[in-house]
Amino acid sequence: MMRPSSISLRRPARQILFSSASTIRAAAPVPTAATHRSLSTSTSTGSGCTCANGSRRPQVKQTQKLQQQQQQRQHRNAYHSYDHPSSSAAFTPVEESILSAAYQHVPSHGFTPSALAAGARDAGYLDISPTILPEGAFALIRYHLVKQREELAARVSELFGGEGHVGARPGLSEWEIRGRVEAVTWERLSANAQVIGRWQEALAIMAQPSYVPLSLKELALLSDEILFLAGDSSVDPSWYTKRASLSTIYAAAELFMTNDHSPEFMDTRAFLNRRLREVNEVGGVFRNLREWVGFTATAGVNVLRSKGVKI
Amino acid sequence: MVARPALRRAIPSSRTLLHAESRILRSSFSTTLQLQQKPNNNNNNNNSVPEYAIPDPARPTHFGFETVTEAEKRERVAGVFTSVAESYDRMNDLMSFGWHRVWKDHFVASLNPGFSPLTSSSDPRAPQHILDIAGGTGDIAFRMLHTAHILNGNPDVRVTISDINPAMLSVGKQRSASLPASQQAALSFLEANAEDLTQTKPLGANQVGYSPTTGVPDESVDLYTVAFGIRNFSNIPAALREAYRVLKPGGVFACLEFSKADKHPLFNTIYKQWSFSAIPLIGQLVAGDRDSYQYLVESIERFPSQEDFRDMIVDAGFVVGGQGYEDLTGGVAAIHKGMKPRRK
Amino acid sequence: MLRPATRPALAATRQVRQCAARFFSSPDTSSSHVHSPSTTPETNPAPPPPNSRSSTSSSKGKKPLTAEQRAFLSSALRVNQAGELAATLIYTGQTPPLVSRDPSLRPLMKHMYDQEAAHLRTFNDLIYRHRVRPTALYPLWSVMATGLGWGTAMLGKEAAMACTEAVETEIGGHYNAQIRKLLEMVSEWEAEGYEVGAEFRHLINTLRRIRDEELEHLDHAVEHDAQKAEPHWLLTGVIRAGCRGAIWVSERV
Repeated sequence: MMRPSSISLRRPARQILFSSASTIRAAAPVPTAATHRSLSTSTSTGSGCTCANGSRRPQVKQTQKLQQQQQQRQHRNAYHSYDHPSSSAAFTPVEESILSAAYQHVPSHGFTPSALAAGARDAGYLDISPTILPEGAFALIRYHLVKQREELAARVSELFGGEGHVGARPGLSEWEIRGRVEAVTWERLSANAQVIGRWQEALAIMAQPSYVPLSLKELALLSDEILFLAGDSSVDPSWYTKRASLSTIYAAAELFMTNDHSPEFMDTRAFLNRRLREVNEVGGVFRNLREWVGFTATAGVNVLRSKGVKI
Repeated sequence: MVARPALRRAIPSSRTLLHAESRILRSSFSTTLQLQQKPNNNNNNNNSVPEYAIPDPARPTHFGFETVTEAEKRERVAGVFTSVAESYDRMNDLMSFGWHRVWKDHFVASLNPGFSPLTSSSDPRAPQHILDIAGGTGDIAFRMLHTAHILNGNPDVRVTISDINPAMLSVGKQRSASLPASQQAALSFLEANAEDLTQTKPLGANQVGYSPTTGVPDESVDLYTVAFGIRNFSNIPAALREAYRVLKPGGVFACLEFSKADKHPLFNTIYKQWSFSAIPLIGQLVAGDRDSYQYLVESIERFPSQEDFRDMIVDAGFVVGGQGYEDLTGGVAAIHKGMKPRRK
Repeated sequence: MLRPATRPALAATRQVRQCAARFFSSPDTSSSHVHSPSTTPETNPAPPPPNSRSSTSSSKGKKPLTAEQRAFLSSALRVNQAGELAATLIYTGQTPPLVSRDPSLRPLMKHMYDQEAAHLRTFNDLIYRHRVRPTALYPLWSVMATGLGWGTAMLGKEAAMACTEAVETEIGGHYNAQIRKLLEMVSEWEAEGYEVGAEFRHLINTLRRIRDEELEHLDHAVEHDAQKAEPHWLLTGVIRAGCRGAIWVSERV
């Protein structure tokens, strides 16, 4: 009776131990490759030899770089590394040179092929050159969206008094975060001011069926950026609801702003404030409801337990 | 598969070495100008042209599913198109269910030739010059002229139609007779091999373009288009490098071609079934020419995938925007674009 | 209380940890280094300051992450957060029925719960810091984990411990797979002559520490008669299959 159980007893633990041991074996060449060569030769027999494959890489060709860049573009909202940042280039150097030049023409020509062609000329290309941009005039809109989103971090850190890294401040109260969300959203909206006369037509282009997915993706990235910069660190289901509601509010405020003629877009700011407050109120109701249900359930269970029910 | 440059480069087989040797031998007797032009090409491209991108009549390539030499392919493709020149549109209609007209319209619209910023009427530096390769029947060229002259109101756009096959060119020439005179004047025809545009033979009298001796000069073209033609080329890398040579910096290479629909497996199966069993049969019944239609479907199957062809374009020195291509009708056809970068 | 048969297992665990410590301790990975350049006053032991620069200077710098690596890291952090959330809730669900039957288990349950709660905090922080999307099935995992914990505890102490055993076995193996993959990444960088950021060394160390704590829970469960649960094979089999399924799903959703 005792013996078989003792054998089976050790099984799971040993299984894990075995896999830990193989981890170490696989990892053994890592530190040793550089420092303890003798050790690595003794341990790196068999399949553990990962470093040999790594060093025999062919030279990175232009085409490979291109593929990498495209992959990066597809996974823009994946793991963000501080030590090993992925090249965040949303545009290739040539696209960048044409678009940045064309962007200067937006206030006069709008988000149009004309602005693109004028930009191409400025950048030393031909009238025909912008046709390699796969999305045509929408590329210019996307350029605006991407650039303004990328510049937001720097502007916000200035706004909040030069904290080196805005997002990484723990211990902000919910009330503080709300204020910061409002401030960051407003900061981003103000960046539309320079092209506001052209923004309505841009919104119309963004609403075209073929551009809707990309536009929505940009909107999602923006609300993620705003919440991150504001220091909202919730990683529960509210991660989703906050982003969704902020996206809706931002889109509405953006549209409101195109018809706003008040000085310094005061009306838009008031509109933004109202919408954010509403969401907080609704969110508050739901949160309270959830808390109440949870509290009642726990209380009920405890009452039953106190009555001797074995649960 | 044989033409995939990546494969070639990776495995320098004894066969290619043998060919290189035989070419050296032949070149001493050779009377073809093609080989003597080669050093020229090298200088223009700035970087040394890889071996696979130098036309070699003896190198094996594919003709449909057969493997033939480049010279032989040229002859046999010529045979196919001479025999189908009259019914060429019908052939495209069959392959694409009539969609090729929509694709061509989209292709030209996306290039928007003759468009210039509102500030000035046209680019003061030079009139726009479009070179339509393998454009014998004029399908693309006429659309280009229409867009440029009428839609964009820019008469300062010239189009040169180039084709290796005189039979196809004469079809285009006949059709151009119905165009407005101003458009006819902006049109010229050229008999040339796209892998070597230094040797051209003008067709007919209305030549705006080039004398037979100079060919297409370096950096003289704004837009190089090739629609449903490049898969028939014997040596695609060589043609891409030639395109690079003739384009101005900032000029655009644009290619419309049948491609791979394998992103949609079910649709792909049906499409493959249609092209491999029905089309040769229809070709036999309608045109009495099964072999030409068989070649057509096989050559489409043989053509590299969107990504591979994009990489070939990048390899020839072009830069691409975005992913470098646009799928049409689920990938049955695709538009590839590349731009010749500005000189540093 | 300790049955003789479990001793070798514990000893072996210890041995593995020592081995690991020997292989992985480099001046770069010691915790003192990670904390020293910190500019923000942080009590949380986990996060390295985002703008820290590794002191070792190398000509090639740090290699950007590839798309696959980023995808792997996102799904790894996401699934770890979901797993630790489930673990805390399993212990939350188990504790009241277990403790009411056998009050002597209270310190053990509290100890295990506290560790799991700390793990959850660690991963919550990592998910926020590295801007990874949390699992969309958060509410589902919450309900299922609470139910699993409460249900097994109602079946009895042995069943509850068998549940812990099964879950921790899966989780331990899962962490090991992640650590192995990360070490492969690091070794590839080093072989190519790139620098490895403190962020990664720290992540690996965190995962290793958490893995060891999970293994400790496994040992505790085995010590407390997990193997006596009836029918043990069915219980652990079902729970382990469930864990694998949940891991598969949370890596994606």
